Amino acid sequence: MKKLDRRDFLKTAGGAIALGGLGFPFILQAGKTKARVVVIGAGYGGAIAAKYIRMADPDIEVTLIEKDKRYVSCPLSNEVLSGERDVKSLTFGFSGLTGHGIKVVNDLVTEIDPVKKIIKTKSGQNFSFDKAVVSPGVAFKWNEIKGYDEAASKILPHAWKAGEQTVLLRKQLLSMKDGGKVYILAPPNPFRCPPGPYERAAQIALYLKHHKPKSKVIILDAKDKFSKAKLFKQGWQQHYGDMIEWVAGAAGGIVESVNPKARTMQGQVEEYKGDVINVIPAQKAGAIAFATGLTNEKGWCPVNQETFESTIHKDIYVIGDSCIAGSMPKSGYAANSQGKVCAANIIAAVNGGEVPEPSYVNTCYSIIAPKHGISVAKVYKLKEGKIKGIKGSGGLSPLFASPLTREMEASYAIGWFKNVTADMFT
Amino acid sequence: MRIKKITCLGIFAVGLFLTSSILTAKPRTPEMLSNTCAGCHGTNGASAAGPMPIIGGMSKRYLSQTLKDYKSGKRPSTIMGRIARGYSDLELEAIASFMASQPWVKAKVKTNGKMVKEGAKLHAKQCETCHENNGANTGELPKLSGQYPDYLFGQLRLFHEIGGSLPQPTQMRKRIQKLSAEELDALSHFYASQK
Repeated sequence: MKKLDRRDFLKTAGGAIALGGLGFPFILQAGKTKARVVVIGAGYGGAIAAKYIRMADPDIEVTLIEKDKRYVSCPLSNEVLSGERDVKSLTFGFSGLTGHGIKVVNDLVTEIDPVKKIIKTKSGQNFSFDKAVVSPGVAFKWNEIKGYDEAASKILPHAWKAGEQTVLLRKQLLSMKDGGKVYILAPPNPFRCPPGPYERAAQIALYLKHHKPKSKVIILDAKDKFSKAKLFKQGWQQHYGDMIEWVAGAAGGIVESVNPKARTMQGQVEEYKGDVINVIPAQKAGAIAFATGLTNEKGWCPVNQETFESTIHKDIYVIGDSCIAGSMPKSGYAANSQGKVCAANIIAAVNGGEVPEPSYVNTCYSIIAPKHGISVAKVYKLKEGKIKGIKGSGGLSPLFASPLTREMEASYAIGWFKNVTADMFT
Repeated sequence: MRIKKITCLGIFAVGLFLTSSILTAKPRTPEMLSNTCAGCHGTNGASAAGPMPIIGGMSKRYLSQTLKDYKSGKRPSTIMGRIARGYSDLELEAIASFMASQPWVKAKVKTNGKMVKEGAKLHAKQCETCHENNGANTGELPKLSGQYPDYLFGQLRLFHEIGGSLPQPTQMRKRIQKLSAEELDALSHFYASQK
């Protein structure tokens, strides 16, 4: 257990000056830049890694490269579909991060050279780094459902990255006739936000119940099981009766192709026709992870689960949805937790400390109705090199709970959103 | 300043290591453990959201006992029991210590003047004997002054609904039982309005 105190630190720094000519890494002298870290992606993982590195060690230079001018949160974006909130309430700027001394660059990373340790961007900028953190979220497997590509998503929105797509899906719901059929195509595992499609069904039903009560929401699922299933089915029934229908993969839920113009879907058993169709495609690691060769044959990034350093490229860390993080789901909270473990490791590596023993948490709320929230949680530790849930910890909200409990969980869902985004952006 | 704090935590972590080395090869530092709380309770426990309590700067003894009560189920919760069961008692104490050493950042909320007045009267009559100094004293008790009214009201409602089986003192439980929802809300606004 070695932590660096000021005396040790000055000693090390002094030593580094003496050894400077011998190519001693990173550390130059106290108060000066010890290392350059470049973080790619200002979402639930990247913003946290950048901020927590700076909070613990202001002598590390941190550059955060984000392709969008503002960040739009996916968590709680299902509430835009019901009309409970707007996209603006999910949108965040980066001035808080700048306040921590992080250099925020609005650009798209096109290349990471893992040998020369240089990051190149679309606008032609180059950034050299000692450590890079890659947190690009997910990319979609276009055409895994035949006919569903990026162009088709302008007609049949995925709304699985919040912003324009969310607004498009909301508009289609608004212009749909009463008695219409809304289809949600839920993706195969693993994917971002496992309870998301089922919360979405509830939020869409919340809108329809009040404005188009003869309509239906049908989930065509690629899977036979889903997250928090009993709690969702109970909540759907309680608030929306038979409005929501779930079709398991084995019961004909697997869709093989779509025809965007005709708004039809060819299932394994029958053809479906919808008024609004939300296709959530199968997923893989973000594009830059592929371009850098950080992915495995399954399309996700293997990492040392103790540190989040890539097992393929040294000094490049992958966090959030793109990485393979043992038993942790691909969620916002998981990315937040991974960002902090990664930050602690980068700080230790730069300062010559030991690898800290990691602790990880996931908490995930879903809002079925305005006063009906449910959750799943878990505390994790490292066991034989893998992230494993701690026995006895976490689990689901109880299936039978008082209305006050459900109401409190709904308020915690919104409280969580406020605090987790404040943790990221202030 | 940051380095100094890390040193303090380091010393604490060494203590933790000596007592828990039988269970795990390497202890998780108080900072590592506590950073996982921030997703719901805000950076360093300075909550930015009404339903979640501010825990940074809260009494160490209170935090430690409360986490253990959540873990054992003695104190009812929606999610805190599930979370607390992921940590050893020593780890919960480490989290309590870390959070207690953080600055208290008062809730930024508007309170209702009429309710604050009503709450002040109720406080003087019902609560001041223990929650001294308008709820600002933090020795062994939770700091109530400057806490979010949403959180306080939520907990009081829960205590009111549950009644009997709570770790809170008998007198407090009895008094909460006798107050109406409006009165509990007024009390919450009063505490939130205090420094």
